Amino acid sequence: MSELAIRRGAAPALAVEGLSYSYPHASTRALEDVSLEVAPGEFVLLAGRSASGKSTLLKAACGLVPHFHGGEIEGEVRVADLDALATGPGELAAAVGYLAQDPETQVVSTTVAAEIELPLEMRGDAPTDRARAVEEVALALAIPHLLDRATDTLSGGELQRVALAAALVTRPRLILLDEPTSQLDPVAGDELIWLLRRLNEEWGVAVLLAEHRLERCLAAADRVVAMEAGAVGFDGVPADFLEWSHRNDPALSTPAARLFSLAGLTPLPVGVRDARQTLRGTGVAHPPHIASRRVRDPRPQAPVLESKGLWVELDQGEEAKDVLRGIDLQLRPGERVALMGRNGAGKSTFLRTAAGLHQPVAGKIAVDSIALLTQNPGDYLVRERVGDELPGEQGLGALRTVGLEHAIDVDPRDLSGGERQRLALAITLAGRMEGEQPPGVVALDEPTRGMDRARKDNLVALIERLAASVAFPHQEYGKATRGTAVVVATHDVEFASEFAERVVLLGDGVVIADGPMAEILSGGWYFATEVARVLDLPGVVTPEQGAAALKGEAG
Amino acid sequence: MRSPFAYVPRRGPLQLASPGAAVAYLGAIVAVAFLYSNPLVLVAAGAAATLAGLLAGARRAVRAGLRLGLSLALLMVVVNALVTSRGETVLARLGDWPLLGRVDVTLEAIVAGLSYGLVAAASIVAFAVYSACVDPDRVLRALRPLAGRSALTATLVSRLVPVAAADAGRLRDAAALRGPGAAAVGKGPLARRLLAGSLDRAVDVAATLELRGYSLDAPRARNRRARSRYDRRFYAVAALVLVTAIAGKFLGADDFQTYPSIEIGLGPATITMAAVVLLSGLAPLSHGPKSRTANADGPNSPTWRDKSARRQRGGDGSARRRVRRREVARV
Repeated sequence: MSELAIRRGAAPALAVEGLSYSYPHASTRALEDVSLEVAPGEFVLLAGRSASGKSTLLKAACGLVPHFHGGEIEGEVRVADLDALATGPGELAAAVGYLAQDPETQVVSTTVAAEIELPLEMRGDAPTDRARAVEEVALALAIPHLLDRATDTLSGGELQRVALAAALVTRPRLILLDEPTSQLDPVAGDELIWLLRRLNEEWGVAVLLAEHRLERCLAAADRVVAMEAGAVGFDGVPADFLEWSHRNDPALSTPAARLFSLAGLTPLPVGVRDARQTLRGTGVAHPPHIASRRVRDPRPQAPVLESKGLWVELDQGEEAKDVLRGIDLQLRPGERVALMGRNGAGKSTFLRTAAGLHQPVAGKIAVDSIALLTQNPGDYLVRERVGDELPGEQGLGALRTVGLEHAIDVDPRDLSGGERQRLALAITLAGRMEGEQPPGVVALDEPTRGMDRARKDNLVALIERLAASVAFPHQEYGKATRGTAVVVATHDVEFASEFAERVVLLGDGVVIADGPMAEILSGGWYFATEVARVLDLPGVVTPEQGAAALKGEAG
Repeated sequence: MRSPFAYVPRRGPLQLASPGAAVAYLGAIVAVAFLYSNPLVLVAAGAAATLAGLLAGARRAVRAGLRLGLSLALLMVVVNALVTSRGETVLARLGDWPLLGRVDVTLEAIVAGLSYGLVAAASIVAFAVYSACVDPDRVLRALRPLAGRSALTATLVSRLVPVAAADAGRLRDAAALRGPGAAAVGKGPLARRLLAGSLDRAVDVAATLELRGYSLDAPRARNRRARSRYDRRFYAVAALVLVTAIAGKFLGADDFQTYPSIEIGLGPATITMAAVVLLSGLAPLSHGPKSRTANADGPNSPTWRDKSARRQRGGDGSARRRVRRREVARV
């Protein structure tokens, strides 16, 4: 087929037929007889639990599988009528762009302009053509001000946009994105999704987007493909997907759909606007108002963490920057606190300062005893046996606290993602516990990156147990009398609504809101749950609360 | 935290010049340092490299280069003083030392060590300025048609170095955050973990290079960049410095002897040579209106906003540090 025909979109952007694939030395297949087609200009959402084959399918569509990763492959993959199994990723780059989850390893040049220009330079485009293409894609993604910046000075969100620009600069017919919002705050995440939608509508770029937080992007999608154990479990429009997930895999359901399902309303909504329209149509547009109940502090105990006028300055390149600016905060035993805010607001810095990794330049922070788990649990795992990481009684006690004492002889690499995270937490807890009692503060920094909902539910259960300092059901301990304050820095609003009783919102290094979770997460727009945005009722943030409000049971 | 030697994009003449011109210019200064041993010329070469770096806006790189270079120079002075007993002016007799034997510290050995040290210091500062001012991507891409595999390897390594440094920082933090009851992280397991992580990262970076089309045949003719208007200036200065250096060698500008006694030539040839080399440091001077720094001081850069925000707040970190010091002093 001629290049002109491909440009005009005569061929499907992606056609996969009977694709099966297994990674080298793998005992099971990552993809099993997958067939699907993405039409030119279509926006397709790829849903599914962790390890269901989403990433592998995206890699097959851009040629990395099998050309880069090797392995055994059967079937056919065609991208804009190019045979992806016969054509290498470099040649396919003219027809398909790929954006992986970690933006750090997706930039290979020193400056932003050079990074975006690289694919054009590699295929030998003339300098004038390259200059125009770079300028246009920078304007489309609103990053012309970044062009002269060094790539190692960019934030995660900026890096993600630059990587997207490098993927789009060849004007591909298809763009593949693997959880691009997992490291972004709600504002940047929403911006990216709607940017993709705009590119999709204005440039006609077909989009295949793999994502866990479906509530963010379902409304933007034309179609949903749900993967189950390497095979296509569902392929249809978003509204039908919600019905399917409700019946077959509720973990893939969105909060608004769960709200409607619990309230007995149909059809299940694909987004906030859809939900509001349905509510208006059914005459329950104004559910009874639930008075926001001020939570009186039930714990008059002494704080386990207290910061007063805390200023922290970090040298992030050419010059030092104030990351925290006069933070006053107290955490009390047993509190479950979500620390939220945009990328760069100072969440991680606050936790790291509490753990002693940074020194304040002014003010003070006093902590009873703290165990901090940073963003990459793998960084804590350096030995080949769980028992070697956590020797002795203290190690065993920490393992019991996270429910992993049965895995003492296992290689950490053989644990699931959630278990590895719990093991890393146990490593931070070991020796900081008084008997079976966890330390005064347990802090988790962005623990839900790349997690599906099932794993998030397990994490919520663990946080609640730590805060209450109670044992796992099969264990005998649980005589603790004092709860642990659990503070979690997170971008995930829905996760925060599941575990937190208090939310502290940071903005540019200062506390801009601090209060009961239901109040904070229902009082904004970006930092609000989907249910809060649908119902717009103070204090109503979860599907259960929303359903109760719709049924008129609360109040 | 970024390395002080990391390339910072700016709109100065040295940064805008083609890699060939910048390499020729800074290479000429380094060549003088290696060709000459006269301390006056070597000091002039070091000063030229420093001046070039400061005019190009690479203050951090120059500072770090000077720190490293002068430390190395000091080490060379000490080592040479201990291992060389030649020279007529004995300053100290330190007796017999294991391995070194009889150690007599002479003024001549110290000055000879200083001469070697100045060569090292001038070269290190010049390399620091090169590192901070010459875009490595442009160098690698210029090399790609000539040596594709080497350029690919260098690209991979140049990207992996900052990624591995970030990984090492994270691993250090994780080691510091381990509970006292967890097994201590030895250097061995930590190094193994870093290596394993780096290999994973290398695969990801290599995949990105593959997707960007690095495996395609290197384009040649259509890929040439337009030359910078500053290229001629740097080539001319480089040629002038090299020609003067070679001529100076024949005219006795490098008149310098350390053993058996010190003789430093300070004749017209040496002074002219030192002046030419020193003045070559002015080559990165910008003529036009003060160029806007693209990265560090641009209106969209975080640094610029921070400064603005600080002005609005009426204070900066150093002010608070002073306050804190006063508080500590009171305590």
